[in-house]
This record gives sequence, C-alpha cells and structure tokens, in this order.
Amino acid sequence: MKKVLLKIESLWSKGDSGEILRGINLKLGPGETQALLGPNASGKSTLAQVILGNPKYKIIRGKIYFLGKDITRFSPERRAKLGMALVWQMPPTIKGVKLSALLEKISKEKIETTEGEELLEREINVDFSGGERKISEILQTIALKPRLVIFDEVDSGLDIKKIETVAKIIKRELISRKIAILIITHSGQILKFLKPAFTNVLVKGRIICKEKNYKKILKVIAKYGYEKCKKCPFLAGRQ
Amino acid sequence: MAMKNVKNVHFWQVDNKIKNIIQVPGNVILPSAQAWRKFNWVKKYFDKEPKEGYFIWIKKQVDSPLATCINIASPKASQNLTNLMVVEKGIKVKSNVICSAIGNNLCGSHRARGKLILKSGSSLEYNHFHQWGQNDFVSPDYEFILEKNSRLIYNYKNSFPPKNLLLKTIIQSGEGSSSNLNLVINSLNSKVGILENVNLSGLNSQAVMKLRLVGRENSQTEAVSVISAKSPSRGHLDCQGLVVSPKAKMSLTPRLICQNKDAQLTHEASIGKISEEELTYLRMRGLTEKEAINLIVAGFLKT
Repeated sequence: MKKVLLKIESLWSKGDSGEILRGINLKLGPGETQALLGPNASGKSTLAQVILGNPKYKIIRGKIYFLGKDITRFSPERRAKLGMALVWQMPPTIKGVKLSALLEKISKEKIETTEGEELLEREINVDFSGGERKISEILQTIALKPRLVIFDEVDSGLDIKKIETVAKIIKRELISRKIAILIITHSGQILKFLKPAFTNVLVKGRIICKEKNYKKILKVIAKYGYEKCKKCPFLAGRQ
Repeated sequence: MAMKNVKNVHFWQVDNKIKNIIQVPGNVILPSAQAWRKFNWVKKYFDKEPKEGYFIWIKKQVDSPLATCINIASPKASQNLTNLMVVEKGIKVKSNVICSAIGNNLCGSHRARGKLILKSGSSLEYNHFHQWGQNDFVSPDYEFILEKNSRLIYNYKNSFPPKNLLLKTIIQSGEGSSSNLNLVINSLNSKVGILENVNLSGLNSQAVMKLRLVGRENSQTEAVSVISAKSPSRGHLDCQGLVVSPKAKMSLTPRLICQNKDAQLTHEASIGKISEEELTYLRMRGLTEKEAINLIVAGFLKT
C-alpha cells in the first residue's frame, strides 16, 4: 500500500463568518507534489491555515493525520516540530526582529543559500517586496527542515520571471530532497515549472476534482472558469 | 545588564559603601559629599549637602566610556544618592550607568537625584541601565541642563523593573541644543510611574522623546510625557505601549505645550496588544507561545 504523509478526512471548519471548509478529503504521499486550485474565497488559504493549526479556525468535524498521527488538536508549534511548514501568502510584519534572528531561533542547522542574503539583516517582512516576501518565507521554511511544505498563493503578485526563479528554488531546496509539496494557487502559473503529480480543485469549501494532468484542468479553467468545474461529471467522490 | 568587570568601573558603590573609584587623568571623580566640601561652585547645583552619590567633572576628552555602578546587595538596603555630572565646553563623552540589585528579593530602596550639566558645545551619551529585584523601590529623578549647542543622547533601559518605579526626567534645553531620549521599560509585576518633561526654552533647540513600554502580568504603567516650547524650537514625542497580559494596565499621556508661534511640536502615541496573526505565524515556525511573545516584545522594544 502506498505510504501517506498527510491525510485529511471529511474536514469541516469554520471561521468568524461561518463554515468555510465543507468535508475536505485529501491524501499526500511523502515527497509528492500536489496542487490545489480554486477560485477566490473557495477556502484555499483557510485549508492551509487549518492544516497548520491556526487557532482562528474551529474544526467542526473530521480529522487530520500526519505521519499516521491524529494531529487534529495539535498546536501550530507541535505541527511545525513534526515537519509541517506553511509559506504564507501575506505574512505579517514582525517589527524590530531581524530575519537572521528568527532563522537562528528556528534553524535545525545552518542554511547554505545565496538567495535572500540581503534580507537577513532586515526586519521580518517590513517593506519587503512581493518577491522578497516569498524568498524570506522559503528561507524560513528550509530552516525548519520540513517533511511537508504548503505554499499559499506562491505565484500571486509575481511576474513570470520571478515565478520561475521561485520554482527553481522550490525544486532545488525541497522537491529534489523528497519533501512533499502542496501548491495552492489561483492562477496556476507556477504549475508548469513544478509539474504536480495531482491537481485538486477546491470550490465552495469542497475538493470537487482530483486530476493527474494539471494542463487539462488549467485548460478547462482558462476556457470556462471554475463554473465549468462545478458542472463536471467527474466530480471528486462521484467518479 | 550586569557589568562584566565591576572592578574597572570609575565609581562603584554597594549598598551605602563606596567600593572603588578610578580616576581618569585630567578629570575628577569624587563622592558628592567630598565634592561639596572641596569645590564651592558645585554648591549651587545641590539643594543641600549630599550624603552619598558621585560627582563627575569631565574637563578633558575621555576616549573610552565612563562607567558607574550602583548595587544593592543587602536585604532592606536604602540608598539616597545625589549625583552631579558636569561636562565642560566642547567635550564629548559617553557614560554607562548601571544601577541594580544583586538579588531578586532584597526589598531594597534606591533613590537617586541627579543633575547633569552639559556646557556649551559638549556632547553626552548617557546609557542608563536598571535591573532590579521584584520587591525593590526605585526612584531616579534626573535633571539635564543643556547649554548652548550641546547634545544629549539619553538611553534608559529597564528590563527588570522593581515593585515600584518612579522615574522623573527633566531636560532644560538651551539655545541650539538637541536631546534624544529613549526609554525602554519591560514591566512584569511592577507599578511604574514615568514623568518626562522637556523644556525647549532655547532658540532653535530640538528634542525627540521616544518611549517603548511593555506591560506584562499584573503591571501598572502610567507615563506622562511633556514637551513645552517657549521659543522657536522643534519637539517630537513618540510613545508606544504594548500590553501583553490581560491584567496589565497602561496609561500614556503625551502632552505638548506651545508658547511660541514658531515652535513645531508633534506627537504620536499608541497602546496595542500583540497581534494574534504574528503570534500564530511564529508558532507555525516552531516557537512556543511564550517564545513567540518574547520575540515580539524584544522586537517592539527595539523599534
């Protein structure tokens, strides 16, 4: 039987404004790269935050397993220690704290990378450009020596050249080291560089499609939008 | 902050006993009481004959920082210091001042009245570090007199406030003088009262006052910061508070008094809490909630 790193079973979750995730089912193997596509407000970022244990979101029912352990009630730091990491779409600024100071605190060993060296002595995310934020996030993630990294909208706000650069770092530092990746993206632009094994489509808090060929999904979405996905006869769970 | 090699400080007092004085060639360092008897001119700076404290008269350029260290080491020790520092014309000096309790539960009392005179064109960087026990009473009351074109940088840092801290600072700003005050206090269970007063009485004098206050546990912090301008001058107040614990209380009162139409006074003040988003972000990086709070607080105090 194929090994499972992350397993989400019938996960329902709510935030301040009500239910956001409505029965999510997802499996990710060790070292596997998957993508999660979805329209705005479909629950993509919420899913990422819930997987990492953000206390802002309440789990109504369902389970999250990581490395075979039920981590549904684990604190964010406990999940991080187990090897889960999130690259935030809009990370908060931490004034007065240099990136190097945080890396020193969280690093399991010294990071050898040339990207982002100029950011080390700057306050975390203060006046960072979109690209700088992504590099800073990836540096922190590498420092954690994770088993799974979730990228929340890693390609948003970047031009195609920057997306390619970020994808190269992800491939070199994570994918080539057999670290599992879940790429959350609205546009899907980064997928051609990362070539996910599976692409999931999330609409209104449910994963309605899981497909090996990411190009096929991108083509449908580009032509008809996510509306077509909703009508697709191969909805997840109905195949 | 502990002095690494206390024997090298220029004035060292423990409880009520002077342990050591190291003279710096060309300058004078004496107990205040001795200075009162030796120099008639210093009497105008004291209200009455001082009993304890130090007198530092900087007449010649000093290349390395001057250091003073006042400790409380015995239970219920009570200090009542009267300090005087005079920086002569055109001299630039840096002074590191450490006042601390050696133990956390000595129930000591440390009162210090200080006068610092910056003669014209002189410059002083005064780094004042406090570290106290949880049951001490501490009351520093300092007045800086800035003569023409003098420069003052006053950094006060208190990472371990006592049970009661009453901190008063007055700056009299002469013509063309500038002062820069930075106060950093991280209160745990303390009652902290702060009264800062800058008088911009000299033409084209300038002052920037910056407060960074953190309230933790059951601390109560009340700060009143005043800049008043009597002549064309510029002043800015920047008071920021961070309340970390549900029981901590904080009050900040920035006050600007303008008595001259060509003066420009500004202020910014805020009291906030630690953002849940920042906390969650750092916890997702593997820090415990406590470690994350400490990092955010340390960062806030550096801004």
